Amino acid sequence: MEEQKDPAPATQSPLPPPAAPQPAQPAPRGAAVWLKAIAVLYALSLFAAFAVLSRTDAAKKAQPKDMDMSKIAGLGKKKDSVAVIPLYGVISQGASSRSWDRGSQQTAKRIKMLAAKKEVKAIVLDINSPGGSVGAVQEIYSAVLKARAEHKKPFIARFGEVSASGGYYVAAACDKIVAHPGTITGSIGVIFSVANVEGLMKKIGYKSESIKSGKHKDIGSMTREMTADERKLLQSMIDDSYEQFVAAVAQGRKMTPEQVKVLADGRIYTGRQAKENGLVDEMGDLQDAIDAAGTAAGLGKNPQVLSDGDPLENFFSLLDTKLSLFGAQAVADAVNPAPRLEYRWSGR
Amino acid sequence: MNALTSLAALLERPETLTAEPRPAGLGRAAMLGYAAGTLGAFIFLRLFSAVPPGVLSYLVVLTFVLAANFLFAGLTHLFMDLTGARGAAGRLFLAFGVTDYFFALLVPLAFFSKLGAPGAFLSVVLVVTLVVYARVRLVRRVYPVSTNKALLSVLLPYAAFCALFFLVFVYSIAWLIWLVV
Repeated sequence: MEEQKDPAPATQSPLPPPAAPQPAQPAPRGAAVWLKAIAVLYALSLFAAFAVLSRTDAAKKAQPKDMDMSKIAGLGKKKDSVAVIPLYGVISQGASSRSWDRGSQQTAKRIKMLAAKKEVKAIVLDINSPGGSVGAVQEIYSAVLKARAEHKKPFIARFGEVSASGGYYVAAACDKIVAHPGTITGSIGVIFSVANVEGLMKKIGYKSESIKSGKHKDIGSMTREMTADERKLLQSMIDDSYEQFVAAVAQGRKMTPEQVKVLADGRIYTGRQAKENGLVDEMGDLQDAIDAAGTAAGLGKNPQVLSDGDPLENFFSLLDTKLSLFGAQAVADAVNPAPRLEYRWSGR
Repeated sequence: MNALTSLAALLERPETLTAEPRPAGLGRAAMLGYAAGTLGAFIFLRLFSAVPPGVLSYLVVLTFVLAANFLFAGLTHLFMDLTGARGAAGRLFLAFGVTDYFFALLVPLAFFSKLGAPGAFLSVVLVVTLVVYARVRLVRRVYPVSTNKALLSVLLPYAAFCALFFLVFVYSIAWLIWLVV
């Protein structure tokens, strides 16, 4: 009985017996076999692909090298074209590369650069300007003359809304001038303008004094009345600049200085009047000017046009024109009372 | 354990993908997946003369695939992490490698495509669908998420790149029109 009551010690032990060491799980066989089969198939297809590719490559290599490239020969070649350079707004000295604020230095540089390009066969100056300071206008004029002499390429000036005074000075350097019948042009002459704020200064109690080395050192001062001597001196300067303008027009338009002087009393002309007086060659728009340039360069009408400036610049230029976002400098220039000598028409 | 055995073990017991420590040979299997998949895609492209020949050309494609998958795994993990799902980015990258074996299918498909059916585009779509399906399944192993979320996380980087490409494309067209006009 005792033996029956005595439970088996092994079954009542609180600790489980130590687990027998598990054998390492064998790698699953089914998937492995399939994978091996797929790997073999993959290897076979790769082998076949390599065989096909090697044969194809060999066949390509065996082809004659002197293939007919005539169809793609022109792809890398730049097409002959006509370059259009805009000259908008008041011309002033400056090196800004922005088209809406482009100075004469930058324009002259562009003229030089485009004239030197082989694919550029003619250049159209798209002028819409009332002129500007004498030095700046002459810088562009000189650039056109030099480019013409050096590269023997035709230059065509195209007038937009206004191309007066300095704008016309620049155009005089070109081979041909194309204008709208209603373009405002002419205004051949020089102007020296200076404001006199003496009365205003007296009113507000502001006084300016200048110590000078010579009696004419403060010529053009806006804080006092101009003396007769100064007026005479400035007039001689203006006459000289005027003679330079007349000479430029006479040279460009194949006229005598006397003929030019008859027209150059500062008056403005419409495009049609200018044509009647020999200041303009043809009536037309920008496309007509481009066609004229293409014809002169032997490219025929409607040639390929190489536009000056990049799209982003043009976009900002458009914003400036339409919204005057960047027109603050132009306003500041307009109200600037500092004296300046200009080939400029004061209208718009 | 060679790469093939590791892959077979993963197919039999997919839960080992997230096991700690990392199953031996998983990294090797994943890298072989990238290499084999890229080779398949490379041969496919070579048969259609879309890539230049040579080992260097293959290595460039492989580098691109590795970089793209590394980025995609990172982006997927970031998305998961931001939405509260916990998982390991490293394992995800390896899981993507394992799914890339499917690109090996492109080699026989290229031959069929050359014969006329299915077309090359359809072949690519077929294989990419398979890869996406496998990736979704494995993403669900790495992260405890629903199928929809796994699918979204897998497709999100592709969608982002498509959107970026679309933006660049639209900008280029606008630029081109501006140039012409």
